[in-house]
Amino acid sequence: MSVRTLKGKRRWLALGGCLIWLAITFFPLYWVLITSFKTPIAVVGGPTYLPFVDFEPSLTAWSELLSGQRGQFFNTFWASTIIGLSASIAATFIGAMAAYALVRFTFRFRLLSALIFVAIAFGGFLLGRHVLGFGQGISLIYSFVAALALAIVSSRFRLPGPELGNNDIVFWFVSQRMFPPIVAAFALFLMYTEMGKLGFKLVDSYIGLTFAYIAFSLPIVIWLMRDFFEALPVEVEEAAMVDNVPSWRIFFGIVLPMSKPGLIATFMITLAFVWNEFLFALFLTNSKWQTLPILVAGQNSQRGDEWWAISAAALVAIIPMMVMAGLLSRLMRSGLLLGAIK
Amino acid sequence: MTRNDPIKHFFIWPALLIVLLISIFPLVYSLTTSFMSMRLVPPTPARFVGLGNYIDLLQNPRFWHVAGTTTLIAFISVGLQYVIGLSVALALNSKVPGEGIFRVSFLLPMLVAPVAVALIARQVLNPTMGPLNELMTALGFPNLPFLTQTSWALGSIIAVEVWQWTPFVILMLLAGLQTLPDDVYEAAALENATPWQQFRDITFPMLLPISVAVVFIRLIESYKIIDTVFVMTGGGPGISTETLTLFAYQEGFKKFNLGYTSALSFLFLIVITVIGLVYLAVLKPYLEKHK
Repeated sequence: MSVRTLKGKRRWLALGGCLIWLAITFFPLYWVLITSFKTPIAVVGGPTYLPFVDFEPSLTAWSELLSGQRGQFFNTFWASTIIGLSASIAATFIGAMAAYALVRFTFRFRLLSALIFVAIAFGGFLLGRHVLGFGQGISLIYSFVAALALAIVSSRFRLPGPELGNNDIVFWFVSQRMFPPIVAAFALFLMYTEMGKLGFKLVDSYIGLTFAYIAFSLPIVIWLMRDFFEALPVEVEEAAMVDNVPSWRIFFGIVLPMSKPGLIATFMITLAFVWNEFLFALFLTNSKWQTLPILVAGQNSQRGDEWWAISAAALVAIIPMMVMAGLLSRLMRSGLLLGAIK
Repeated sequence: MTRNDPIKHFFIWPALLIVLLISIFPLVYSLTTSFMSMRLVPPTPARFVGLGNYIDLLQNPRFWHVAGTTTLIAFISVGLQYVIGLSVALALNSKVPGEGIFRVSFLLPMLVAPVAVALIARQVLNPTMGPLNELMTALGFPNLPFLTQTSWALGSIIAVEVWQWTPFVILMLLAGLQTLPDDVYEAAALENATPWQQFRDITFPMLLPISVAVVFIRLIESYKIIDTVFVMTGGGPGISTETLTLFAYQEGFKKFNLGYTSALSFLFLIVITVIGLVYLAVLKPYLEKHK
């Protein structure tokens, strides 16, 4: 028993509060579940609460849904699953590496190099687009490569101006999340269309949407994983360094296993974000790789207040995440025990 | 303490490249467009107008109204999320009976698609078919216009935001609470510190860094709110619940006024940046005091 365990009356007060929040959490979910089993007449007739007691459950909505009367559910479900899993695994992994590097290694560069990158990227794009008359895709690729190359070359020299470090890189990553997603989604759609003209099909493709999701999850992954890595005791790694263990083995063999709870929590948040994301999927897909939120939102506008059908469709999007939460919470508890560093 | 090792480039470049590649085009594209008058429907050739779009927007009372609504929703809902989230996290961390079940089930709302949440909210808040109005009638209230009257509609949106995102706060704060060392609490128990003193002098200060991070993330995300409002009220009644992203959507994809939309999103970016900087500047002394 830990010292922090509450005793006596406070314990029951806390329990009461938790129970109230539990009721608030569950009622809407319960409601959507029972509505999906109601007949149209039962829905319109006013609220009813208990199956078999005040309404007769029926499978109308579910049979319509599974027989494909309301759109390509299996296809969409499959697309959502593949994109969600691959994007969140990749983002957690790549983001964890970057976060670790930002916590444990020293990065230094001059503000001027960053400014060179931005200036060349902007200037090159405008030059290619409006003066030389290239397409948007070509001018983007040229200006990006040129800007990156010049920025890296310039960082080799001793440039004047203020020096930036790890915290500035973290701030840059996180600030990417501030950008209004609606403009990013639309601009990304334009960029993907341009790339399509160059022969890379990115609109309505697995690669295109997954790549966008990885990029937009990375800032949050880096921010979260950085906190977890900072909480790890550095002594273990220092001991390993004394024994001349290479950095990559310290990371994969010691740091990653120790931060399992953090990794799982981050993966879970990323997966939920990708699975439920609406705007990017709306712009970047149209048929083959459409994801569930688009289909669910479509139910509302297509069919009005048919709550039984809408509820069943919404549940298809909701249930996999619930199952995942159950599985992961179990993993997380065992992970927490394994990762106990104290 | 940080060290220097060439392998650091191998660790950071994948993330850096991906984010650079995906973020630089929207930035370049929309910043250049924001200084132009550009429409897709009816198609008009791009014309350089300088700061014209920005001036138009700043003189548009609708922009200020929308910014105010978004701020109201964001601040009230994040405030409530933090208070409820912290209380629940504290309760769970002190091992209330049934803590394991609570821990899993409290996460659920966060995992539901906002589109689905909004659809559920519309069912629950429906004036004739919804359970909430029946409960209110049973308690003696009149039939309440949850989605059709400004203040009720705002309240409903805030309630939905709180329902959906408090789990995120709980998850993060609980993870933070579990990293706090036990020995401090043992010392406090020896000194006979009351639970309130322990909370005020140990838990809250030690939790401050992660609290600041969580509130920061939630504030920024709340400013981008669109799906919930879009499905629940569509910005109505009138424009009274319209948010910044919804306004951008209306201008950009109903009117296809790209220059105006881009300028709007940059103003949006400035608003968020200012709020973020002020927030961090206000909290910095506290963070350093407790380091």
